[in-house]
Amino acid sequence: MTRKEAIRYAATVLFAHKGFQETTMQDICKVTGTAEGTIFYHFKSKEGLLMAILEHAKTQILSEYEAAFTGRDFASGLEMMEEAVAHYFRLAGVMEHEFTLLQRQFPHQLAEENPECRSHLAAIYSCLTDIFERVVRAGQADGSMGAFPPRETAMILFAMVDGLLRLKTCNLYDAGALYDELIASCRRMLAKPCDGSC
Amino acid sequence: MSVISLFSGAFCKDASVVAALETTTGLPVVRDADLTALAGKLSGLGADKIEKAFTAKTSVFNKFTHEKQRAVAWLRLALATKLAEQDRLLVSGFCALLPPRDIAHVLRVCLIADAAFRRAVAAGEAGLSDRDGQRALERADEDCAMWSALVADVKDPWAPALYDMVVPMDKTGVDEAAVLVAKHLADPAVRVTEASRACARDFLLAARVETVVTGKGHDVGVSAKDGVVILTINKKVLLLDRLENELRAIVGKLEGVSDVVTKVGKGYYQTDIYRRADFEMPTKVLLVDDEREFVQTLSERLSMREVGSHAVFDGESALRMMADDEPEVMVLDLKMPGIDGLEVLKRTKAERPDVEVIILTGHGSEADREECMRLGAFAYLQKPVDIELLSDTLKRANEKVQARKAGA
Repeated sequence: MTRKEAIRYAATVLFAHKGFQETTMQDICKVTGTAEGTIFYHFKSKEGLLMAILEHAKTQILSEYEAAFTGRDFASGLEMMEEAVAHYFRLAGVMEHEFTLLQRQFPHQLAEENPECRSHLAAIYSCLTDIFERVVRAGQADGSMGAFPPRETAMILFAMVDGLLRLKTCNLYDAGALYDELIASCRRMLAKPCDGSC
Repeated sequence: MSVISLFSGAFCKDASVVAALETTTGLPVVRDADLTALAGKLSGLGADKIEKAFTAKTSVFNKFTHEKQRAVAWLRLALATKLAEQDRLLVSGFCALLPPRDIAHVLRVCLIADAAFRRAVAAGEAGLSDRDGQRALERADEDCAMWSALVADVKDPWAPALYDMVVPMDKTGVDEAAVLVAKHLADPAVRVTEASRACARDFLLAARVETVVTGKGHDVGVSAKDGVVILTINKKVLLLDRLENELRAIVGKLEGVSDVVTKVGKGYYQTDIYRRADFEMPTKVLLVDDEREFVQTLSERLSMREVGSHAVFDGESALRMMADDEPEVMVLDLKMPGIDGLEVLKRTKAERPDVEVIILTGHGSEADREECMRLGAFAYLQKPVDIELLSDTLKRANEKVQARKAGA
């Protein structure tokens, strides 16, 4: 890890758990043992540091999803859905602090006025909803899912998954314990409705 | 006769000690491989997945659904099953850390030795060079530390509190160690009693419960006392009642559970994120030399002396690292292609005068020495360098940096 990466990591943890406004440059200096000048040298400002964090999170999420889905065959759209959801939580484990940060309000507030922030967030959320849309379309093509509107269904699916993660990031509940039931619910929601025969 | 649980650092002659104990005590030996196979069978997860719980790399497991805890729970069940079946056993390996302390008839033994001894064993037993041996034992120690943190909540796997006896293998021969362990095994304190058998049965009950709750995605500490299961919630959960009700509902109906008690552990209150996050800073010593082999060897030899360093092979990279990584001390060769050492020295002292530069060269003249010292080098050393002299010089340079920092 280079010093620059170490600073970014420390800032990710502090922003995610303490808050962006509540974290001072001195806090970051203290936990990293670096001079304030070094942080400014690498990131220009606290906002610049947040942008670097979001950009890094974006790159990692995009490449991880690409790696997980490129060249893989799934038995059906429903199987692919299960993998997409599982991968979301796998990433939320590996990138724990980044996901906590994304679920806080300040990046979304900042996006209203900062175009760079907006574009990072848009890229992250488009990637995620695109994956879910791909899943729905694949499921409809192979007949494992019902003929629901793909885009809307994908957004609702994503909201369920992301909402479950929120139980964990907000310390509401041990969301891992709901994982199996989430998968079952997603299957029920997406599966092709039974015709009169069953 | 009782149970020996024997945990050992890598390259501490544990296999020989286990073999000697097997002969002298006649205890049947259970190794990690046996328990992994049993856990794989009991769980249906497969032994290969269970085995991965022993390595520091967590990426193979889903952290969110607590897969690693699940694998450990099945290992506990495998061992608890064995311990309930018989109270004559020698448990050797990582699983030796699994039995709870209150099973009094388990004698907990740790074998460890200093790094020099372990490198020598690595050379003798595995034919590893000093360097490879050091690397292998560092990796192995990392796995051990991860494991003890995971199963015993202790970061130091050799912490005396985990054991009844810690045997320093660099000072104790194999036979001597086996005799020592056998002697302690005869101690009345580790005799099998009705009470210690009851604890072994509770261990089995707790292990069964743990496989069920981790199977449902929960991550809680499980213990049992006389059929009463105690669940410890070690994370902050706002909807605590809900979680407790859910856990009680799962566990209450399991066979053999007379009552369920839930409580919150220290993790529930832990809010200090400074402790939780591990902020590791990069190395502070930068080595600059175009002789790759030399500089890499140097870096490794320094790491054995607990000096973290990073090597680069040309002046351009050195200056880039200077900007990105803020090392505090630089060890610099003078003759390099591209930007040479003298230039690197000049620019470094101009841009970051606080960095102490030690010149290490094979081709320098007296005039070079004078020039370097004039430009602000901390020291001027000739190759081949005595590693002791270099580490000593590094230490002095570092002290100067720290003194300046403290004064600033």
